Amino acid sequence: MKKAILIISFAALSITASAQDKGYLTGSFETNDHIYVQDEKNRFTPDNDRFGSNNYLKLDYYNGNFSAGLQIEGYAPATIGYPDDLNKFALSNIYVNWKDEDFQITAGTFYDQFGSGLLFRSWEDRLLGLNNALMGARFAYNWEDKIAFKALWGMPRLGMDISDTQVRGADLSVSLSNIIGLDDILLSVEGSVLNRFEKISIDMEEAGGKPNSVGFSGRLNFDWNGLFLKGEYVDLGKKLVSFTQKRGNAQLLEVGYNGRGLGVTVTGRRLEWMGQKITARSLSTANLISYVPAMSTQYTYMLTTLHPYNPQLGDESSFSFNSGEVGGQIDAFYNFRRGTALGGKRGMKVHANFSTYYTIAEEGTAKAGNLLFRDFSFDVEKQWTKQFKMLLMYSMQEYNPTYGSFKTTWLSNIFVADLLYKWTPTFSTRLELQYLTTQEDKKDWMAALLEVNFAPHWSIFGSDMFNHGSTKMHYYNVGVSYTKGRTRIAAGYGRYKDGFICSGGVCRQIPQYTGANFSITTSF
Amino acid sequence: MRTFLLSLALLICAAAAAQVPSVTVENAKGETVNTKSLLKEGTPMIVSFWSTSCKPCIRELDAIYDALPDWLDEVEFRVVAVSTDDSRLLAKAKSFAEGRGWGEEYTLLFDKNQDFMRAMNVSVVPHVFVLDGTGKIVYSHTSYVPGNELELFEAIKKCSK
Repeated sequence: MKKAILIISFAALSITASAQDKGYLTGSFETNDHIYVQDEKNRFTPDNDRFGSNNYLKLDYYNGNFSAGLQIEGYAPATIGYPDDLNKFALSNIYVNWKDEDFQITAGTFYDQFGSGLLFRSWEDRLLGLNNALMGARFAYNWEDKIAFKALWGMPRLGMDISDTQVRGADLSVSLSNIIGLDDILLSVEGSVLNRFEKISIDMEEAGGKPNSVGFSGRLNFDWNGLFLKGEYVDLGKKLVSFTQKRGNAQLLEVGYNGRGLGVTVTGRRLEWMGQKITARSLSTANLISYVPAMSTQYTYMLTTLHPYNPQLGDESSFSFNSGEVGGQIDAFYNFRRGTALGGKRGMKVHANFSTYYTIAEEGTAKAGNLLFRDFSFDVEKQWTKQFKMLLMYSMQEYNPTYGSFKTTWLSNIFVADLLYKWTPTFSTRLELQYLTTQEDKKDWMAALLEVNFAPHWSIFGSDMFNHGSTKMHYYNVGVSYTKGRTRIAAGYGRYKDGFICSGGVCRQIPQYTGANFSITTSF
Repeated sequence: MRTFLLSLALLICAAAAAQVPSVTVENAKGETVNTKSLLKEGTPMIVSFWSTSCKPCIRELDAIYDALPDWLDEVEFRVVAVSTDDSRLLAKAKSFAEGRGWGEEYTLLFDKNQDFMRAMNVSVVPHVFVLDGTGKIVYSHTSYVPGNELELFEAIKKCSK
């Protein structure tokens, strides 16, 4: 079956290409390479390869309503901490697509999602080593922005191969406001259904497992003059967890207001047994067919990312066995305009966030109602003069090191100053100063980063993250980058701490390592 | 494999200047919008791909925001800011853009499953394009350091000549 799809895709690609009408080709290439170095202080000894290299070549051809493309990936071998099943070279993605204003038909590999992705999402995130594109077919129809329908069938990619699991789904979105003809209001109701099929062993079947599962979701979207409400209910159907039947379900509610320089979003979410994998047989972090991210701030400064929140989906993982979580967050942004008392001549931007999450039931290793994660952050950004811009941030993070098994939590307070100074229109420096204070774990940290930029092409930086509270370890990093148009070349050397790399609220664990890195990204 | 290589060769021969592909994204209100509709006004535009967790992207869009009144005195153009945030950060991205005043000056688009980003072959943000009035890509740049916005303005001025 997979072969048949590939052949059809190839044939269609050739036909499209032979049309020889105008059309255009675009593409991108990315390589990330590491050379590992023995570092006793960092408890790191590279294996025999001493080298890691992740490479991606993507080509897309567009001709009117037609498009076709492919992606080739090569890992020689994959960089440290990347999912193990990514290795060697493969033609990983290939598709043909036809799209006009109303219809879309795709054959081959494609990415898609229903609603927020809690029921189904296929996407690519190279930082995580995740690509669960579906190999199959999709049909979508949009009727005058009033009704949108899509149906899809396919087998998700896992690692370098297409898995045997089959996914069939349909999604319907009805815009009531467009049907009635309301101009100021947006009101739509949406629904999705998803069937997942995976052959299971006789043992699993005897234990009550089923090869088919059917899930659905219902959604409501409302927006009136910047006031918005979004609700989503997801039922994943029954699944077998530790030889007992569990019903996966989730509720998501977002309300807020955006207008007059103020942006406020309040989110509440409850998850129960929401882990949904491509196959029961793989432990890869990319083994996902839905998107259940952490709903909390994604921090970017070094010391604020030491303990990112990993949501408890309700699944057995290497860290914990947990039925789920319940919690919420509030995010508020405000722009003090130019010329106001607090805004001054150049305005001032403030942001605050609070989030808190708890376990929902005594299940597996978790006790009911234990705090899993809580954080509060506040930042203020001000352009003092034409040359000088300052950002100050405070973040309190409290997390449960036992993922809800015990009440004990670890709390840290983090302070960040980010100072940018433009010496000339093209020469600037940026200095980050950070401090983390805590009674637990590895006690206090400090960090600094200096970046020197020579626009339009060059940028160099040096940074150090120092644990002076306990281990006395320095995690240093230096780097240089050159950018010209759509091409960026970067090289660096550093000592990296074990921890998590997170992107879009999904994290993968990485071990500590020391070494040099080199990367090129380009597109054409 | 031969069919494949032949297709590739044909593809390359057939290539012309890159344009804006037809992709469905969301606007600030949550309505679906086809990216082709961006071309209706026929003015040059800056299309900037950003995300809430990308500091250089935010610095670039802020720098354009600060320079905009002066630039618009000289040339007519629009700025389209495309958020590549996942659905997790979609609501936050909208609030974020509002809290920086971008909503008043920019056309805000939200590309929650990165379909537009992929179609434009953007692998990392920030990535910015300058399109002429017909939608043809005349300039593009990846990453941002203060001062890069000056090149954008030069490119915009060239297309309106």
